[in-house]
Formats: sequence, structure tokens, C-alpha cells
Amino acid sequence: MTIRRPALRDIAFVLAVPDHGRKVITGVNSIARNEGIDSGMAVADARVLYPTLEVIDEPPGLAARLLRALAVWCIRYSPVTAIDAPDGLLLETTGCDHLWGGEEAYLTQILYRLRANGYDVRGGMADTIGAAWAVARYSMSARGSGQGASIVPRGQATAAMLELPPAALRLAPDLVDRLQKLGLIRIGPVVRIQRRALQRRLGPELLLRLDQAFGIEEEPLLPVQPVLPYHERLPCLEPIGTTGGVAIGLERLLDMLCGRLQRDGKGLREAVFKAWRIDGRLMQAQIGTNRGSNHAPHLFRLFEEKIRGFEPGPGIELFTIDAPKTEDVSPLQKTLWTGACGPDDPRLSELVDRISNKLGAGLIHRYLPAEHYWPERAYAPARGFDDAPASVWPSDRPRPIRLLSIPERIEVAAPIPDYPPMHFRHHNTLHKIVRADGPERIEQEWWIDRAQHRDYYVVEDETGARYWLFRSGHYTGDHSNQWYLHGFFS
Amino acid sequence: MGSLADYTEYIELQVTSNFSFLRGASHPEELVQQAAANHQIGQMRQARRNEQPAVALTDRNTLAGIVRAHAEAKKANIRFIPGCRLDLLDGPSLLALPTDKDAYSRLSALLTVGNLRAEKGECHLHREDVYRHSAGMILVLVPPDRLNPVFDYDPDFYAAAREYREAFGSACYLAACRYYRGDDAKQFFRLSALAAGLHLPLVATNDIHYHHPDRRELQDVLTCIREKCTIREAGFRLHQNAERYMKPVAEMQRLFRQYPDAIARTREIAEACRFSLDSLKYIYPEEITTEGRTPMEELTHLTREGALQLFGERVPPNIEANIRHELAFIEQMNYPAYFLTVYDIVRYARGQGILCQGRGSAANSTVCYCLGITSVDPTKFDLLFERFLSAARNEPPDIDVDFEHERREEVMQYVYGKYGRDRAAIVATVTQVHQKGAIRDVGKVMGLSPDTVDRLAKSVWQYHELLNDERVAEQGLDTHDPHLLKVLDLTRQYIGFPRQLGQHTGGFVITREKLSDLCPILNARMEDRTNIEWNKDDIDVLGFLKIDVLALGMLTCIRKAFDLALRHYGLSWTLANIPQDDPAVYEMVSAADTIGVFQIESRAQQSMLPRLRPKTFYDLVIEVAIVRPGPIQGDMVHPYLRRRNGEEPVSFPSKELEDILGRTLGVPLFQEQAMKIAIVAAGFTPSEADELRRSMATFKAVGQVTRFKRKLINGMTGNGYTPEYAERVFRQIEGFGSYGFPESHAVSFALLVYISAWIKCYYPDVFVCALLNSLPMGFYQPAQLVIDARKHGVVFHPADVNHSQWDNTLEAKADRYFTVRLGFRQIEGVKEEDVLLLVAGRTQPYTTVHALQDAGLPVGCLEKLADADAFRSLGLDRRQALWEVSALADRPIGLFRGTASESAMEMKIALPEMALSEHVIQDYATTSLSLKAHPVQFMRERLRNLGAISAADLPMRRNGQFVKVAGLVLVRQRPGTASGVCFITLEDETGQFNLIVWASLFEQFRKEILGAKVLLAEGHLQIEKGVVHVIVQRCHNLNRLLTGLTPAAVDEGEQASLFPEARNFK
Repeated sequence: MTIRRPALRDIAFVLAVPDHGRKVITGVNSIARNEGIDSGMAVADARVLYPTLEVIDEPPGLAARLLRALAVWCIRYSPVTAIDAPDGLLLETTGCDHLWGGEEAYLTQILYRLRANGYDVRGGMADTIGAAWAVARYSMSARGSGQGASIVPRGQATAAMLELPPAALRLAPDLVDRLQKLGLIRIGPVVRIQRRALQRRLGPELLLRLDQAFGIEEEPLLPVQPVLPYHERLPCLEPIGTTGGVAIGLERLLDMLCGRLQRDGKGLREAVFKAWRIDGRLMQAQIGTNRGSNHAPHLFRLFEEKIRGFEPGPGIELFTIDAPKTEDVSPLQKTLWTGACGPDDPRLSELVDRISNKLGAGLIHRYLPAEHYWPERAYAPARGFDDAPASVWPSDRPRPIRLLSIPERIEVAAPIPDYPPMHFRHHNTLHKIVRADGPERIEQEWWIDRAQHRDYYVVEDETGARYWLFRSGHYTGDHSNQWYLHGFFS
Repeated sequence: MGSLADYTEYIELQVTSNFSFLRGASHPEELVQQAAANHQIGQMRQARRNEQPAVALTDRNTLAGIVRAHAEAKKANIRFIPGCRLDLLDGPSLLALPTDKDAYSRLSALLTVGNLRAEKGECHLHREDVYRHSAGMILVLVPPDRLNPVFDYDPDFYAAAREYREAFGSACYLAACRYYRGDDAKQFFRLSALAAGLHLPLVATNDIHYHHPDRRELQDVLTCIREKCTIREAGFRLHQNAERYMKPVAEMQRLFRQYPDAIARTREIAEACRFSLDSLKYIYPEEITTEGRTPMEELTHLTREGALQLFGERVPPNIEANIRHELAFIEQMNYPAYFLTVYDIVRYARGQGILCQGRGSAANSTVCYCLGITSVDPTKFDLLFERFLSAARNEPPDIDVDFEHERREEVMQYVYGKYGRDRAAIVATVTQVHQKGAIRDVGKVMGLSPDTVDRLAKSVWQYHELLNDERVAEQGLDTHDPHLLKVLDLTRQYIGFPRQLGQHTGGFVITREKLSDLCPILNARMEDRTNIEWNKDDIDVLGFLKIDVLALGMLTCIRKAFDLALRHYGLSWTLANIPQDDPAVYEMVSAADTIGVFQIESRAQQSMLPRLRPKTFYDLVIEVAIVRPGPIQGDMVHPYLRRRNGEEPVSFPSKELEDILGRTLGVPLFQEQAMKIAIVAAGFTPSEADELRRSMATFKAVGQVTRFKRKLINGMTGNGYTPEYAERVFRQIEGFGSYGFPESHAVSFALLVYISAWIKCYYPDVFVCALLNSLPMGFYQPAQLVIDARKHGVVFHPADVNHSQWDNTLEAKADRYFTVRLGFRQIEGVKEEDVLLLVAGRTQPYTTVHALQDAGLPVGCLEKLADADAFRSLGLDRRQALWEVSALADRPIGLFRGTASESAMEMKIALPEMALSEHVIQDYATTSLSLKAHPVQFMRERLRNLGAISAADLPMRRNGQFVKVAGLVLVRQRPGTASGVCFITLEDETGQFNLIVWASLFEQFRKEILGAKVLLAEGHLQIEKGVVHVIVQRCHNLNRLLTGLTPAAVDEGEQASLFPEARNFK
């Protein structure tokens, strides 16, 4: 948090998640902790202690994502890195530490780098996972303000554990509680009790944890797999010097990429194609689609226009393609390529892709209904091809086929106070109104804007053309009301 | 406009108030006022019309708002038509307008049917139900508010219209409303075609949702609250314009110019609906009488009998006069049956051994005293019957009776049983939207972050404090931000809206005929309870009689004490036979030795007692009344004390006030006195004075309060009183509105104060035992009650599996008193049914943990008992017991039952010995008290090193001396009357003492004060008339000392959490 919002560095703040109607603190920075605030407290209680406490809603899954990212980052220290939820990382260090000059330097280095990034971390090293877990959290040197690193020398895990409290055994809280009540406040006395008695009275969990800590029981590590991005490279044996070669490179890369996308059930929404020249110049082209696609010929066509400008110059040594934005696509899509028409027909979206890529984005629009009475806000541009409307277009009131984005002033003769006008003048043409319906009164949405309400009328002139007119505000009697033309029905 | 307008007039028949929760955006009163105002404008223009204007109210499936509208309509001189909008499960909605009383009863019965078959807050009605109840009602069919894509209504609607027309005949109408949605003409076309086809006359309405177009914004917000969305998400769920307000009559006539008949019909319907709530005759049920007497004869008979018992053959002449006067009045007002009902309920309770006592103004009645309803002896007090009942006020009597809180339900069920559920129900309380709720709801809708909403909610601290910009700014919010201002504005409008119909604490309405003829009945949230829709003000307006069956914890305690006294001392006490005016009791009370005593045990009371030094019963009455926010805010306490101690002459602002204020030395302390001053000195009528008091209690009537304030101050200054005095009287009345005591009420309470004090004084063993068995109640935790009783020489034994019951019990007598054996109820988490098993299986003493398991106790319960150290009689301390219990899960069962478990053959394990301090900590964790020692005792050495002295040392020090003190924090209190001052009560092994922290220091030491279980305070000693306070200058959190009490390597926070939270009071 402090990494992204440096202002938080010097104030007490906590992370909180909603829980049964109240907010419970899930994370505390050191300043807040010094004020007596701890995880598990309700925000309201904490505020009593420290009224100016900054409370930040914890984005769901943030902690898990961060932990995973850290685990991946730690792969530089050991290939076998595992997540120990909710707040720990486990590294299999065998054979790694000597690269950093021994265990101490190794651990110090890791902790130093993490702290430099703003993480508050503690570390421990031992023969077993259980013992390392314990000393990292409970040994005096780890808890103290010093290095925060404890290393248990080889073969001394058992001895190191005996002085620690039972909580260091990774036990369920109620078991820890019970040991506490029995006066067993260190692991040492627990170990001296007969195993059978422990098993019967306190359950198998305690024995398992003891055995794991002392290395009697094996404990496997589940290493994290780094997430593989959609990225393909095509190094060239000889520098490519022709545009035809660029096209071939693109085609190959697209085949490779689309093959992978298809296997994963994904389609790309954006792709970047790069050509690396031997003189260090980099040329790139970017495309976007309206709907996730893994159809290589289509994607190729989208790129085709753009790579015309690629100049091979002295030669291109490497092509890469990235798909930074992908989405899940239905696996049935392939069979649909020759399917029926309609908005689901991929040929339609491919056509739209081609036109937009050729003429520029934002030229082809599609609108969805937005739930607003105010006509200018009653529609919103769709973001993608599959953007489904959240509501239906209201069908119970007339709306013009063409709505002017800015209503145009007209001059009107109308009976008072709210009857339809008799004629109106627009662009110097006088329209005599023969039929009219209305008014439809639409109030301004007061939480968005303050303005007068509008009285809308549907009118038909003598030529049969229909218009959507409105008067702004109530009739006041002093001719200050403005009339506007807002749309055409035909 | 057209000439038609001259002959017709428009009346609103479709009006939704805020009693259609989260739909209507105006109070019924506002709607009625607006309707009256609209008609006035019409009348000025059209003087020749002579019909009386009218307005209807049609909330959704409820009649909850009609009494308010009715009362307001009387004031505004407009006729009110009660009605209801019936929303059906299987058909379009109907407006139901009863034409006469019988039709009204049917409507009420119809809603009752719908209410009782649904969950609270819902009403499930079908067409068939309406058909069965519709006789005499005018029913207006409400069409859907929009057309379908082919500009028509759906066939379902046409079918329903046809069916309704057949069922209701000519009483059926069709509503037409100008929605301004652009298709009004089309809708009217369809509706008039339907009207012509079915002979269903069209009637104009405006589907009113608010009285003024400005309320549209609030109405939008209400819609969002209802739909649980923010204003930005609400979309088409909102109305598209602000046309749902009460339009001037002329405007309605213009809008319906093409359908003038529809306007005329509103008048036609209004003329047909002649039913008024005034004609609703409330008939009190006949009470069963003996020997063929009339109720009045029965009442007279019972009163005479009672008087004979209480006063003997020779009833004192003034009492005799009182009785005659009261009986005559009761006869004149025809209330005898009501008194008989209350008498019967009280008689029932006594028969069941349930203690009860009347409270409130009824204690001013000698008849009530003779009937045994109240206990204020008329020979000792000047009772003023007029305070209870008077012809001038013309109010129904209201007798409140307190019952033991644990057994009140029995009494309530007796009432239901006696009169039947169709004739008895509890009065509703209309819960209003309060500051915090309003801010939360509105803030959420307006899209404020939860954090901002929290801060806003925090800016109001007290129940009826109004939102003010300064407080909002204190929370770091920008009071110039237009969005925030809008939120605050809407919040202010929303405050005071009815939110839901709750259940009154115990007010019963009972009737001779079916109650549902008068008002719809609905299910209460609690099982076996039914309510009516109206609250106590509503039924007051209509003259219904109400009986309050209230609950009081102290009565439970006193009854338990009586039981114990009978069993162990062989003494048969009653509320009446406790010796009166015992000097030893007053001595104890004056020394503030009142922990556990009813009403006078709080810190504020305890610090008042040594100053007031009560010597007579009336002093107790004053003591009860004086330590209340009313007198404190009105600054009446110190003048009274000064006058009592002779430091200030007793004087009266005028002769007339001497009569009123004589008994309280010229200082108004009771509600009646403040009201009397308004009457005598400011020229209020008695009913105005009462209205004034009531308007203070409901904070929404802010406008009224200022009007009364002007009247009071002008009236008093006009009569020669100083403005300062007038201002002070007003402040008093202001405080009394919500927090004051009437004198007779204070007397009733003082009786219980005396009785509980007497028991505590002479039988502290009985007292503490009964009190512990009646918890939770009062101010103190069990630990303080036990410590206090030990100080008085009571010996306690800990809870033990071989000796304890569920309740705390008295055991053998140890010199003066019986010893108290703590019961299992003191152990947290132990269930009563498990204890029953334990006691049932205890035919001989338990000798092993196994035996308890055999008695059927679950292992979980045994663990709790072990934690609470209840196995000492088996020779096991808590740790050994827990070790034993932990082996139980492993016992051989079935075939191997009886053979020794393997655990029995284990090598004996030496568990670490527990230190005494550790035991004490665990005692607190399990039973929130310890008989072994006080936790602070173990810190004494270190506290001494810190320079702290003990509670016992404090009185030996000089006033003003600088001291350090430390102890467990018992109570933190920041009364609203003390402008931010915090009072803290600490306890150490020698006693309790109080700290005072001024507001500025509180902020500075907020963290320490609120976070500490053990607090060290430094400051100057203040000793005044034996009352000792420490005026705090610095605070330190000593929670870390608690850590030292156990050898465990646990965090300090965990250790502290074993102690009960200190109680916070406002």
C-alpha cells in the first residue's frame, strides 16, 4: 500500500473488509499497531482508540495476489518457492544459499530486498518447514527489532523449538488455548508427556505438527508456477530484408499464438507485433478487436494494412508478438465461422474490426440503453461487441429516430400554459403543426445537474414530417421560455 | 378556465403518505395541511360554494397514518376521509373508501386478515378477500401507470376491471391520473373507452406522493432506499417528473378539462364517504362482577373492602372524602370497568406470586391504592387526583403497572387469554427515523463512501440532537461541498419519518367488540404477540383506554429476596410490611453505601447522596427525581442543595408559585411542577401545558417548540417574572420532555428504593443473592456486587459441582448471615438444561469426573465447569480437572463400558502448578469475578513503586492533594449533560473510587482511557462532604501489569481480554 500511496507512510492506517454488517480490520501498519490496533478488531472499535485512523477497503483477493507475486519474485532465490497462506512464503534453499555466500547472507539479502520494497517481513531458516515457520514468527531474535532473521543451525531444530510457545507449532487456536490452560506454555513440557496421552487428550494434530517440526514426518512443498504470458518470439536465422518476409514472420507468429490461445480457450482483444532491426530500431503495429478472436487469418488481415509501413532496412533479426489483452471465448466459435447471420456471426465483428482498423477507431458506434429519463443520457456507447444491454430500450414512449446531440433553438407559437405549439420556425422554414401529442414532462436528474425541466411534444407538420420539440421550464408568461427541436422521427 | 370549474370541486382521493414506508415523502399532517391550504385558495375565488373541503388518505394496506391525519384535519378545518390502498397479490390495486362505520370495520377486518396471514410488515390480500369485505365501501380501481408497446393496457387488466365491476357494482370507480409521461391522451382515451364499456365511472386522482414538488428529491431517495440502490443506479425506478404533488384545485380542473365528470365525481365520492373516526365508538369491555353488581357497584365494593383492610374500621375523613370524590368522578366518566380490568390483572399477578406495583400518575389515586394497584399511601402524601384524571384534560386514564421482568410474559398471556386475541392487542410504537439512521440511509443512496457516512453519523452524538454544520465540519468534512449539503438537507427532511411499526413496551388496548372493527391487527415480531397499527398518541386522540403492563427488573429481585427470606429466615415480607422510616436505612443511604439499590446506585446518585443526606421518605423521592437530565440541564440541582443546607434563603418568585413549589423549597424538580408553572405563571391551559411537554419529547416538532417557548416566556414576563427565570423554567420543561419524572412516579420508585435499601441494610446476604439471580440489571457487574456484600460481612463459597444450583443459593448460617453459594448461572457458557441434569444426578456427592459424564453432562459443559474451577470438592483444581475432562472423550463405551480407560492407567502427569494470581485471572475469565483475591492485589507492589495509593487511603488524604491511583476500569461515563466530561470508576482490592476527566484531557488521553483495563491516573483530590473524586491530569495504561500475573508467554492483549469490558454509559 505504502508503495503506491507514499502519503500513507507516516500515518496510521488499516485495511478492512466488511463482515456481517461491520468492518473488520485485516491489516495494520506499524504506526496503527503502536496505537493498540490489531487485526481482527472492528473498525468502529479501532476508531474509538484512534479517531483519525485511515481505513482502506481491502480489495478482495489483494493479499493473495500480492503473496503470489512475491512468491514468483522469490524464484530468483530458489526455484522451489511455495505459498504458505495466508501470510507466508516457503523457500527450499538447499543448494541455493552458497551462491549468496552462506545462509546468513542469503537470508539477510532476501529480507533486505523485501523490506526495501516496503514489506514488513520476518525470516527464519531451519532443517524443517515447521521449525523455520516457528523461528521466523516466535524466536526472540525474529520478533525483536533487529535483523528479524533467525537461523537454526543444521540438526538443532528440536532444541530450538523447545523454548517456543505451542502456538509456534502451527496449531488451531482452540488447541493453543487449551494447552495454555493446562499450563503448557512451552513446547518443551509438552514433548515430555507420553505420546499416547497426548494423542488421546489433545488429538492427532498436535503430534503431527510436532513430528513435522522435528523432521520425523515429511512435509511436501507445492511450488508456484509462474503465469505464462501470451508472448511469442521468432528469431531469424538470417536478417529479413523484404516486406514479404515480414508478412511470413507475422503469419508464423500468429499461427503459434492462435494455437496457444485456442488450446487455452482464449481470444485476443489486443495484439502488438514488433520487428527488431539489427540496427537497433524497433517497429511495431498494434491492433484491437471488438470480440476476442483467435482466428489467425482474420488477425493477419487486421495487421496487413499496418505492416506495410515496416521498412526492413538493414534487416530484421527478431519478430515478437504479444497479446496483452485476452478474454475467454466460447470453444464453439470455430464451428460458427460458417454459421448463421446476425450479431453473433463472427464475420460481422470481423468486418467491423477491419473497418475500424482501416479508418480509425471510434468511427463505428453501437449504443446501448442507459437508464436515464433525460434524453441526452438515455444511451451510452457499447464497449465491445458482446456488451449486453443492462436493460431494454423503453418501448412505452416515443423517441425520435435521430436525436440531435445539441438541441436547436426554434421559434414557436404555443397556447399557454402547456398545450402543444401551433407552428414553429426552424432554419428559416415555418412548420405548421397539424397533429401533436404531449407533453411528456422530464425533470432534470437533480443529483447530476440542476436545470429546468422539459416538456416534450411529438408534432407533425403539414408535410407529414414528425419532430420532437420541447419547451424548457414552465410557461412563465413573459416569453422567456425557450423552445428547442431535439429530434426527427422520419 | 371553463365555466364548469365553478360548479365542481376537486378532492384528492389517492394520497400516499410516509406511512406507506419508503414510498410517500410527506407526513400525513403535511398532506392534510396542504389540502386545506389548496382549498382555501379555491374558496376565496369561489365564495358561493358551501360544501366543506375534504381530503382522503390511502396508504398501502395500512391505516396506520389515518389518526394523525384525522387529528390534523380537525385543526385545519377540513373533512378527512380515511381510506386505504389495497395492493393485492392477484389483481390490480384498489382504493378502498368506507362510506360508514360498518364499512370501516370491514376494511379494518380485511387488513387484519391480510396482516395475520403474513410476516410482520407485510399484508397478503387476494381479490376474494376484498369481495367478502367490500360492502359499504367505494372502491376505485387504479389502472397501471403505463401502456404497453401497442399503446393499450394488458388484457389481464381489462379482465380484472370487468370482474371488479361485477363484484362491486355501482360502488366501483376507475381512477384516471395525468402522469405527464407523454401518453396521457392515449391513456385517457383507453380509460374512457373502458369506463363507457363497463359503466365504470372515471374519477380524477393525482396519485399524491408528497405535498409539495420540493419533496420529489426525498421521494427519489426513499425509492432508492426501498430498492437498495444508489441514486445513480436507480434509473427508471424513479419517477420521471415531480408531478405527484398536491396541485391547486384549479390546476386539476384544467388538467381534466376534457373530463369534467371525473372531477365532479371526486366530490360525489367524498359526499358518499361520511365516515369519520370521531364516530368510532370505543366500548370498554364489561368486567366480570360478583353477586350481580354493576361495574360501578363492584368497584365501590372493592374499594371499600380495600380501605377497610388498609385503614381499619375508621377510615380517616380526608381519605373518605378522596374516595368519594374519586368514585363519583369515575362514575361520571364511566371508567369503572377500566379500573376493574387493572384490578383483575393485578389480582391475577398476585395470585401467581408475581410482584407488581403501579407507577406513574395513577399513584395519585386513593382508589388505586385501595385496590392494591399502587402503593403510595394517601395518609402520608398529598395525592392530587387531578394529576391522574381530570375533567379539564378529558383524557382517558392511563394506569401503568410494573411487573417482575422475568414473569411479565405470564401476565401478558393472561390478558390475551382473558379477552381473546381478537379483543386485546398491544399498542404500536411508530419507530421514527433517527439522526444516524437517516444519515446512513441517505448517505448510502447518494453514493458517499462508507467512511464518510460513518463520519457523518458520528457527528451526531445524541438521540435528538440536530445535525449541525459545526459538528460535520469537526469530522473533517467540507460543509461547502454542494453534494454534501444536499445530503444533509435531505437527511434533515427524512429525520422523523415513520420507519416501522414496532411494539409498545406493554400497552394493551382491550375492547368489548372485536378489536379489528376499530383498527387492523398485525403480528408482532415476538412470538405470541399481536399489535394494533396505532400508537399511544393515536389511541389517545380517539379516547381508547390503555393498560400498561410493564417490566421492572428490581421487582424480580425483590420477589426473589422475599422468597429467600421466607425459606431461610422464616420471614414473610411483602411490599407493604417492610418497616417504614428506619433511620439505619437512611444512614446507609446517606453514606452512599448503595451498590445494588434500585435507582440510587449510579455514580451520579452516589455522589449526590452524601450532599442530600436523605432522612425521610420524601427525601428519597427527591433524590430519585433530582439526579435526572431534566433538573440537571435546567440547573435546578445546586439551588435545591444550597437551600436545603440553609446556605441560601428559601424564597418564591411569587405567592402563586409558593403553592406549587413549597415542598421542593422553591425549586421545580418534578414534571407536574414545571407544567403547573406554565399554567399558573404563563397562562397556559392545562392541555396546552401537556402539549408543550409532549412536543418536547418528539424532536421533529421543532417549530412547535419555539412557538411554545415564545408563549411561555412572554406569558411569564407579562406576569412580572424575570426573563432569566422564565428562560430557566423553559429549559426545565425542555429537559422534562424526555427525561423528567412526575412526582407520583418518583414516589412509586422511591418505595422500591426504600425496600431494596432496607433489605440490603439488614439482610445483605438475601439481597446480594437475589440480585445476582436477577441479573442482568442495574449498574454493576457481579464482581462489584460480591465485593460489596463481602464488605458487609457476607461469606461466599465458589461454584462447585457438588454444592451449587443453577441459581445462587444461601447455605448454612455463618455467624450473622447465611453464606452464599455461587450458582452455575455465574459461569459463562454453561447452559441451564445441563445444570438440571447435574443437579438431578447428584443423589450422592460426585467423586469422579466420570460420574458427571454419566449423569449426562456433555464434555463441553464439563470443560466449562473445569475452567471455572468448580471441581474443588473432588480435590481437583481447574488445571487437573481439565486434564481429567480431556480424557473423557476417550472413555470405553458400549461393550467396554465400565472397564477402565487407558487414560486411567497412564503414568500420573505433573502439570505445572498454577499461581494464585493465575487462578484469579482465570476466575475472571470464566465467572467475571473471583473469590480468591482481587487482581489489583498482585500488582500492589509494583503500583507502590509507581507511587500509587489505594482506594482505602484516599479519604485519609487532604482535599487538593496530588495523588496517583490505579485500578481496574469498571465504568466509563460521558453523560450528555456534562459537556464532554468523562467519569471513570476504578476498583482496586480495597474499594472503588471515581475519576473526573475534563473534556480537553479526555481527548488527550483518549487512547489510555478507552484502551486500559488497568488505569493509573494522576491528579488532585477533591473531597466535598465526604464525596471523593480525583480530578485527573494524566492517565497511563497499565495493562502490561496484567501480563505479569501469569507466567505464560502470551501477548498482553490476550491477557487483558480475559477481563470483562468496562461498561460505557452516556
